Amino acid sequence: MTLGESLGVALVGLDGHLVRVEVDIADGLPGYVLLGLPDAALTESRDRVRSALVNSSENWPNRKVTVSLSPAWLPKSGSSFDLPIAIALLAAQSVIPEERSAGTLYLGELALDGQIRGVRGVLPSLISAHKYGITTAVVPQANAVEAQLMTEMKIIPMGNLRELLRWLRLDQRMKNEELPLSPALDENTFDFSDVAGQERARFAAEVSAVGGHHLLLIGPPGAGKTMIAQRLPGILPALSRREALEVTAIHSIVGGFSNRSPLASSAPFVAPHHSATRVAMVGGGSSIIKPGACSLAHRGVLFIDEAPECAIGVLDSLRQPLESGSITIARAIGNVTYPARFLLVLAANPCPCGKFSGRGRNCICTSQQVRRYFGKLSGPLMDRIDLRVQVDPLSRVELMAPDLGESSEIIKGRVIAAREVAADRFRNEEWSLNSQIPSRALRTRYQPERLAMNFLHTALDREQITARGLHKIMRTAWSLADLSGHNRPNLANIEQAFLLREGLAP
Amino acid sequence: MNILEARAVLFSSIEGGSPFWSGEIEAVGPVGVIEKSEYGSYDSIKFGKTLERIKKSDPSQILEKINQSGGVFITQEDQFWPTQLDDLATPPIALVVRGAVESLHLPALAIVGTRNPTNYGVRVAGDFAAGFVDRGWSIVSGGAYGIDAAAHRGALVAEGATIAVLAAGIDINYPAGHIRLFEEIIENGLLISEVMPGVSAVPSRFLTRNRVIAALSRATLVVEAAFRSGSLRTARDAAELMRPVMAIPGPITSPTSEGCHRLIGERAAEVVTSVADAVEFIGMSR
Repeated sequence: MTLGESLGVALVGLDGHLVRVEVDIADGLPGYVLLGLPDAALTESRDRVRSALVNSSENWPNRKVTVSLSPAWLPKSGSSFDLPIAIALLAAQSVIPEERSAGTLYLGELALDGQIRGVRGVLPSLISAHKYGITTAVVPQANAVEAQLMTEMKIIPMGNLRELLRWLRLDQRMKNEELPLSPALDENTFDFSDVAGQERARFAAEVSAVGGHHLLLIGPPGAGKTMIAQRLPGILPALSRREALEVTAIHSIVGGFSNRSPLASSAPFVAPHHSATRVAMVGGGSSIIKPGACSLAHRGVLFIDEAPECAIGVLDSLRQPLESGSITIARAIGNVTYPARFLLVLAANPCPCGKFSGRGRNCICTSQQVRRYFGKLSGPLMDRIDLRVQVDPLSRVELMAPDLGESSEIIKGRVIAAREVAADRFRNEEWSLNSQIPSRALRTRYQPERLAMNFLHTALDREQITARGLHKIMRTAWSLADLSGHNRPNLANIEQAFLLREGLAP
Repeated sequence: MNILEARAVLFSSIEGGSPFWSGEIEAVGPVGVIEKSEYGSYDSIKFGKTLERIKKSDPSQILEKINQSGGVFITQEDQFWPTQLDDLATPPIALVVRGAVESLHLPALAIVGTRNPTNYGVRVAGDFAAGFVDRGWSIVSGGAYGIDAAAHRGALVAEGATIAVLAAGIDINYPAGHIRLFEEIIENGLLISEVMPGVSAVPSRFLTRNRVIAALSRATLVVEAAFRSGSLRTARDAAELMRPVMAIPGPITSPTSEGCHRLIGERAAEVVTSVADAVEFIGMSR
């Protein structure tokens, strides 16, 4: 038999296509042809596969070798096809039993000595393969932990080619230990009890966590804006298994650049530097369309410190994902949609020099500089931010207070309780968070109390708020009602939501 | 040369707010000043440039230029002239106005403050402007971003008259972001300028302009002002004219309320916390 085949996966965004790797060994001048739109890394697979096979004491056929990756029209990239090509080559030479090699998914890059190295995107590849009905997959040992999340499939982690071949030929494994599937320790060890004072900002963070409302923190350097933002994931409820899979799948595509543990169930925290480009923020790339910061923060917190320092257009590129919860990136090689439902936290100084607080006498900024600074936060973006709070520098009393603030554990308890109330209320709806209530529903079955509405209509008449602002305030008021145990937002909830949005709180 | 032409020549040649020239006009009248300049009665070294400009000016050209800019030239002799300006030590030689001139005859409240207000300041400025407009007053302010704009908007929302005193020429939209606001003001109120059309704003003109804001108004309200702020100058100008000055207090931790607190602390301004408060205080001090 001179034909052999195996299976791999080509990822386009989070969606994987099952790729049939076919190898034909024919008579003719010795040569090697790789078909199926491979990119540079994939084209180089020939030399890796050859060395790996030879160094694993296998035969490299000195004949005309044709490798075809089907479907042929789909561009393929990356090194994860090394392993399926090697297996198909061996199958074509009939040196491995066909009934065991076919029907199994192979993922992995080969080292010259036959080691199987880790690759990006293992989890989304497995999820896609499962949809195609594949039940067994061989993955690199390095990706074993991530792959184990896919409990619906039989996962066989392999460290090197010899080991894999022994398993294929003899059904023997050198070590067959089951990996523990307990979630890794939460890497987010920041606790709210470390934050001294800042009652208002803490409260805003809590409301933000309850309803998924976006947050803007304005305050001088050192007031604790970053501290509060870092602690926000710690008071968000743990991700469900489905959510954790989604998050890990996205992080898997970025591979080694993401330092998140694959088993983590805590909400991710992503804090791109303000010099980030638009592509870094929303995703992009020419050969592989990678997810950007806003997708890596999916189901978690996207924190942008010094937000007004961002280049023009970077912040505004977040408007689409803020609206739709996903980002679609169009490139020559195709369109990719990544989920991007994140909690946006922006931080800004009171002015470019950061000293315009207290008596403000050390500030050297002109009024034009200050206006330009905040002008970077465009109207449409600011309109989507429900909570805007001033973070004042710590006072002496706050600093000297002997007892610590509430711990994240206590706040998280309240957040979870409030979210359960909301989830119960929305059990027959398509959404689950207060920030997602459509404006139609706000006008009908989710309308606050009459008195509260009167307050809002007066504010609207006096042009203090816009129509969009009115709905945003109503959504925040629902979160406040859930926190305070009202079954419908009352005037006090609406007033507080108004103050949190318009920044007028004393 | 008649008195209108003489004023046109002096208006285009002399920077506003000069005590010497104001004194001369007061003493010998505009035509007298032109004649004295022709006889060489003024120090040609000290006033060289001004005299040169007076000599070169053609009154009909000046009036034509003002007409073309869409402005109306009004002087002390006009029936529309706001006589409250004559309380100034250095009243404007003339004004170029655009819009509804009748607005000048309503009792006016000046609302001034920082160009970088907080939401609190924007809201209070708007509320006070609307409140006074509801009571039949007009609002006077500059044309800048921040409190100035908030005051005008508040007056416009309440469908009242509002007056913007500009530091640049009447046809210069400065700041450019306020083109639409200025258009609305022209429809429902008045733009005022103390310089020729086409003249750009320089820092010194903002200070001389502030005295016009103070003098046009029956009272001055400072909403938010930083420690060093041009609005404090307007408040002092108003105090010199013995007009009531009021200030809105803010949080003592807010740098944008620092100037207001300074005025209050120096007893230069009265604390007001509502429109009713302010109306009562103005009534008492008359």
